[in-house]
Amino acid sequence: MSNEDIILPSASSLSTLSISDISRTGFGYNPSVGPASNSITPETSNILLNRKTITLTPTSANSIYDKNINSKKINEISLSSLSFLFCEIVNWSHKNSKGIQDLETRLNGLGYQIGQRFLELNKLREGFKTSKREIRIIEVLQFIHGTFWKSIFGKVANELEKSQDVTNEYMIIDNVPLISKFISIPKDYGNLNCAAFMAGIIEGALDSASFHADVTAHSVPLDGFPLRTVFLIKFDESLMIRESLRFS
Amino acid sequence: MSSYYFSIVGTRDNPLYEVEFSSFKTATTSSSTGSSVPGISQFPTNIKEILPFVTNSSLDLIEDFQWTTSSFNLGKIDSFYGLLVYGFITQGNIKFILCFEGSNNNNNGSSAQKYNENSIKQFFVDVNDLYVKCLLNPFYAVNDAITSPDFDLKVKLLAKKYL
Amino acid sequence: MKVYSIYILNKAGGLIYQNDVNAGLNKLSANDYLVLAGTLHGVHAISARLNPTINGKDTTSEANASPNAQILTTGRFQDSNGNRSGLHSIETDLFNLYVFQSLTGIKFIVITSPNPVVYNIQTVKKREDVIASKGELNKSYEEANGVFKQLYVIYSDYVMKDPFYSLDMPIKSHLFDAKVKELIS
Repeated sequence: MSNEDIILPSASSLSTLSISDISRTGFGYNPSVGPASNSITPETSNILLNRKTITLTPTSANSIYDKNINSKKINEISLSSLSFLFCEIVNWSHKNSKGIQDLETRLNGLGYQIGQRFLELNKLREGFKTSKREIRIIEVLQFIHGTFWKSIFGKVANELEKSQDVTNEYMIIDNVPLISKFISIPKDYGNLNCAAFMAGIIEGALDSASFHADVTAHSVPLDGFPLRTVFLIKFDESLMIRESLRFS
Repeated sequence: MSSYYFSIVGTRDNPLYEVEFSSFKTATTSSSTGSSVPGISQFPTNIKEILPFVTNSSLDLIEDFQWTTSSFNLGKIDSFYGLLVYGFITQGNIKFILCFEGSNNNNNGSSAQKYNENSIKQFFVDVNDLYVKCLLNPFYAVNDAITSPDFDLKVKLLAKKYL
Repeated sequence: MKVYSIYILNKAGGLIYQNDVNAGLNKLSANDYLVLAGTLHGVHAISARLNPTINGKDTTSEANASPNAQILTTGRFQDSNGNRSGLHSIETDLFNLYVFQSLTGIKFIVITSPNPVVYNIQTVKKREDVIASKGELNKSYEEANGVFKQLYVIYSDYVMKDPFYSLDMPIKSHLFDAKVKELIS
């Protein structure tokens, strides 16, 4: 069996390490070797004890691990640059897509990864002492509608509603979605909504918090709010069972 | 000098990161042969090989427990023939699990144990910080193994600081 | 001053947007609007060549180069109107027409109501009155400039940041339409 045949259950990325990759510095975990790959040796122990600064990777000197990502200060970015970037994102996805449905799926997928990451970052920034883990559907929705939305878009979403007919459907409503503020959909694009990207962010956050859901964006314009968007959140049936078992 | 086995487990119960080490604090009082180097784990082979299994078996307990509490730190979740298992879970369902051999002399008093639990908690909180930083890397996706040498170094420094 | 019509021309002189925001002008056929746009574009280009010469030397290139030089030296552009040497305005008894050109060559053209009638300047001998009527003329030019500035902002926001707009093509964005309406009313 060659090295390529070894299946690494945990590593899906391109840069997977094989069993023959041995760390020269003694640091760095190799999933195909296991804990033996980064076990402490007399040399590394010496480095750890004496706080020697060593360069492990080209970016070690300016590594993110040395930086504080916990600051409460609001970092603002220019809406123009964000809009131009998103404009390119839509264009690029559009170029690669087979149709409108496909384009929405792609935008959703791009947002998904942001949601996964932002969820963790957001909880970290809330502070370990003050924040709590969201374990109930209504609480996680309130968190997304409030804190989460505010930290990404600078304001809380406008409404949070529960569907009257279907038990596992909820709606978050934003009157002016920041990301598609300047985008008007041509008539021949049907009911495309570029806020599918935002729906992806919500879906990513909910999924990784193990509230599995499908999130879709729908345009429901009102007078004065031509871009009003409803994010329809459809939770997995199993979730409702879990909820009723745990909290009834 | 107690040895520790720390692992990060992903959302699909897949290991993302593992490390074995021993406490750096009681390095001088080592009695075992040829182990004057602090930090090197002292697990006997028969224990060493079951550590991943002990960790894995605790996942069910964590999954049951995670829906009953809204705190991140789960505290002591299991013990297996003297091996204590402590857990921590993030909002994104990533589990941090620490296994170590509990001290045999129980007359140590509860204050020492309290101190120990507190430092474990601090260790978890700081590892969580490191994990989020790792997650911010665009080339890292959720549930990938964490192979960064820098991450490894930082975790070991935390281990030295707290455990 | 009342704004009758707004035209936007791309850098080749093609009409990419036309909106009669207030009634008051005769309707032309779609083709005539295109011809009008092309003519204005041509007149603008020719008038830009009508620079005075200094000691027999042409100053056109200098006049046109100055905004670019300004950006290069100061890093910012002071005046958004890049229309330095070309046609600025046409004033008639029935309407006024103003031209604004962005740095990239997009022309915004606004047709407004004529200047307020200035009664017989010749018969009124007092100098203050003459100055006052001059001030009136200047005012409507300033007003048109104000409209251009805001129009330019709306264009940059709702047209340039729209992924479904391709450069130099007709503007169909309904958000842009709504914002133009909001600006004029």
